[in-house]
Amino acid sequence: MVGLSLGEQNFIKGGIAQDLRTDGRKRLAYRPIFVETGVIPQASGSARVKLGATDVIASVKAELGKPNPSHPDKGKVSIYVDCSPTAEPTFEGRGGEELSTELSSALQRCLLGGKSGAGAGIDLSSLSIVEGKVCWDLYIDGLVVSSDGNVLDALGAAIKAALSNTVIPKVQVAANASSDEQPEVDVSDEEFLQFDTSAVPVIITLTKIGKHYIVDATTEEESQMSSAVSVSINRQGRICGLTKRGGAGLDPSIILDMISVAKHVSEQLINKLDSEIAAAEACEEETEMDS
Amino acid sequence: MASMGGPNDLSSEMELDAFRRLFPICFHERHLLESIRPDGRALGRARDTTLMLGAVASANGSALAKIGCTTMLAAIKLEVMTPTAEAPDEGCIAIDFHMPPICSPLVRPGRPAELAPVISKQLSDTILRQGIISGMINLKDLCLVSGKAAWMAYLDIYCLDADGALFDAALLSAVAAFSHLQIPVVSFNDDGRIVLISDDNSGAMKEKEPVNKEKIKLKLNNLPFSLTCILHKNYILADPTSEEESIMETFLTVVLDSSFQLVSLNKPGGPGLAHTSSIQECITLTRQRVKEVQKILQEAISDMEVD
Amino acid sequence: MAGKSSATPTTYSPSLSGQKKKRPSFLTDSDWVRPDGRGPHQCRPAFLRTGAVNSASGSAYAEFGNTKVIVSVFGPRESKKAMMYSDTGRLNCNVSYTTFATPIRGQAPETKDLSSMLHKALEGAIILKSFPKTTVDVFALVLESGGSDLPVITTCASLALADAGIMLYDMVASVSVSCIGKNLLIDPVSEEESYQDGSLMITCMPSRNEVTQMTVTGEWSTPKIHEAMQLCLDACSKLGKIMRSCLKEAASGPQD
Repeated sequence: MVGLSLGEQNFIKGGIAQDLRTDGRKRLAYRPIFVETGVIPQASGSARVKLGATDVIASVKAELGKPNPSHPDKGKVSIYVDCSPTAEPTFEGRGGEELSTELSSALQRCLLGGKSGAGAGIDLSSLSIVEGKVCWDLYIDGLVVSSDGNVLDALGAAIKAALSNTVIPKVQVAANASSDEQPEVDVSDEEFLQFDTSAVPVIITLTKIGKHYIVDATTEEESQMSSAVSVSINRQGRICGLTKRGGAGLDPSIILDMISVAKHVSEQLINKLDSEIAAAEACEEETEMDS
Repeated sequence: MASMGGPNDLSSEMELDAFRRLFPICFHERHLLESIRPDGRALGRARDTTLMLGAVASANGSALAKIGCTTMLAAIKLEVMTPTAEAPDEGCIAIDFHMPPICSPLVRPGRPAELAPVISKQLSDTILRQGIISGMINLKDLCLVSGKAAWMAYLDIYCLDADGALFDAALLSAVAAFSHLQIPVVSFNDDGRIVLISDDNSGAMKEKEPVNKEKIKLKLNNLPFSLTCILHKNYILADPTSEEESIMETFLTVVLDSSFQLVSLNKPGGPGLAHTSSIQECITLTRQRVKEVQKILQEAISDMEVD
Repeated sequence: MAGKSSATPTTYSPSLSGQKKKRPSFLTDSDWVRPDGRGPHQCRPAFLRTGAVNSASGSAYAEFGNTKVIVSVFGPRESKKAMMYSDTGRLNCNVSYTTFATPIRGQAPETKDLSSMLHKALEGAIILKSFPKTTVDVFALVLESGGSDLPVITTCASLALADAGIMLYDMVASVSVSCIGKNLLIDPVSEEESYQDGSLMITCMPSRNEVTQMTVTGEWSTPKIHEAMQLCLDACSKLGKIMRSCLKEAASGPQD
């Protein structure tokens, strides 16, 4: 919890009303995004995203698993977020748990689409190896290292970056397997498949402070919010998920307005993120060459 | 306390509710003197009892029992198991009693009520007592194919509202759920697993011999019924409410079966000691109660059959 | 747990034989025929009653088709967790399922998530300042799960809060819509939820026209969201009227 004096509170609110925030940004401007990929060598893919003082790490681990009987032709993805106790004083002990569950379920809602798999950022059928027998299980873990507001957007960006960094080994299935046995699979350690992340949406959280809404709020700004709406939007400008956070009620027309603003912001964010990810990948390859 | 006589003097000056909360024992004892209880019952009378069978659509057998405000929802789900080597022709019954946080201000999430496992154990002891022959259910009736498949009956009882005499209500709902239980028509499929045969696809399944021809009801013998009484001084209060239970702490629970044989008698400690004569009296009260409850159960079953 | 034999054997629930689970017809983009014969924009009949649990400060029972929920409200009472002084009240929510709530025993969904969603849906409607230093506990038990569980829980919880006399800005009503192919289906049942391409849930205070919670999953275009939101909001205001009449009935009816 941020303790702000009345003067400071008014300063933040007044600044937002005049479209000039305390750090000099406009209402709909993001802080500089810094992306680094391949930060965890053991993982199939990983990335670190810094958004101002907010610092998160996402890792993707692919393991062979058995598909769910109700969806035999699909792989499985699980998303779990952990809030490091060092990220914020209130996360100490079990304090971060509630936020962790909230973030995990918000990310699942934003990235995994509907029950039938439509609108999912990650195409689950591409994870299938042998229908009903073997598939890839993706374990996506997010870690909040340091929190200065807008953790959800940062995690969304980190997962997108980690997925584009992810390589999944090619798998050979033994042809002679009979129908009821578990088929033998041969995991190649030379050939890899790149993950298609063009459909992975970005998450944009609009925080309502006073009459206006801002993107990428800092912790100080978040302490003044009345409510926030997180929208995940893909490249086609379609909405892939939405969660309202924060207590106070919102007029339905405001929500619709927020959605259209988020849509507008998403185009810039996707482009910015894509170029950052590409730069980070290039940078990683360079260091590999050097070593 | 210096003013032990105080409460009696105060009773005329104080509001009723305040007196009830501040001097609960005095409040109740003054009622008992007049042979009546705060809710207007005679000492030996149980509260109004209702039963509804088939309350849970997704279960194979279910019942909702209400004794006064105490409400219990029992449901039985049948699953298939491979019988154990020791008893290849017997099914199994697993009984669980739950007190979710909705039922009482004393239960909070994450911390289960102390009472729940106790009642759970008491219920299993009563329903599954003494093995096969003299029990309420013949476990052999739950067998499908000896050594291969048998029913596992999961009986879950949820307390929806806790207002005293929880065991009585739980047992009643359990017995009623077993009376409502119907064993579905099943057969083996190609993988050797048991599958259900529904009415509309039975034609297509003609080539498969069903294990049982039609839905059957379990044969129940000697249904157990119980009555919990409070022993306080010379008084015996049948079917206590939670308020009475919290003030007067000596209980005696008698379980009789439908032919009035004693199944169990439980007096879990408590500050009061029980005279043989008062135990006798409790048993007499229970006999009357069993007749009453049997009638209610019969009515509930015939109501069900009319529908 | 007590009452189980020491070595509980592994069991399975027998599935229906013969027929393969019927593939949903939405693949052809034809009109989806609802399993219970409702129109696509028709809600299930709602049955609401207050005062279901006597030992609670307030309670309500809700039955929407096969979805049956009881919610008890306790408090305002002393906060159990050792907490700092707070001049606003606290809200504590918990959702649990009975073991027989789902067709297959013990397959209840993640309740931690539901609890926090319920908390968010309600907190905006409660005047927390009216009970400083204390906690109001809202406990929900899903007796049977038949689809649209969370909206039913939220609606029922709001009614229970009103029954307990907790100060509210307004009652909240909650409705969800499933999107299957081209069809928007309001108040979906479990079967429809398992086939859905997307879902949208709105919790709102009907007389203030304020949304306290909204979630969307799956891919949606903006006009579709408009349409679904309007459907939900209309259904919420209807539901709000039913809730109101239920409370009025309880207040004017004979006390027993």
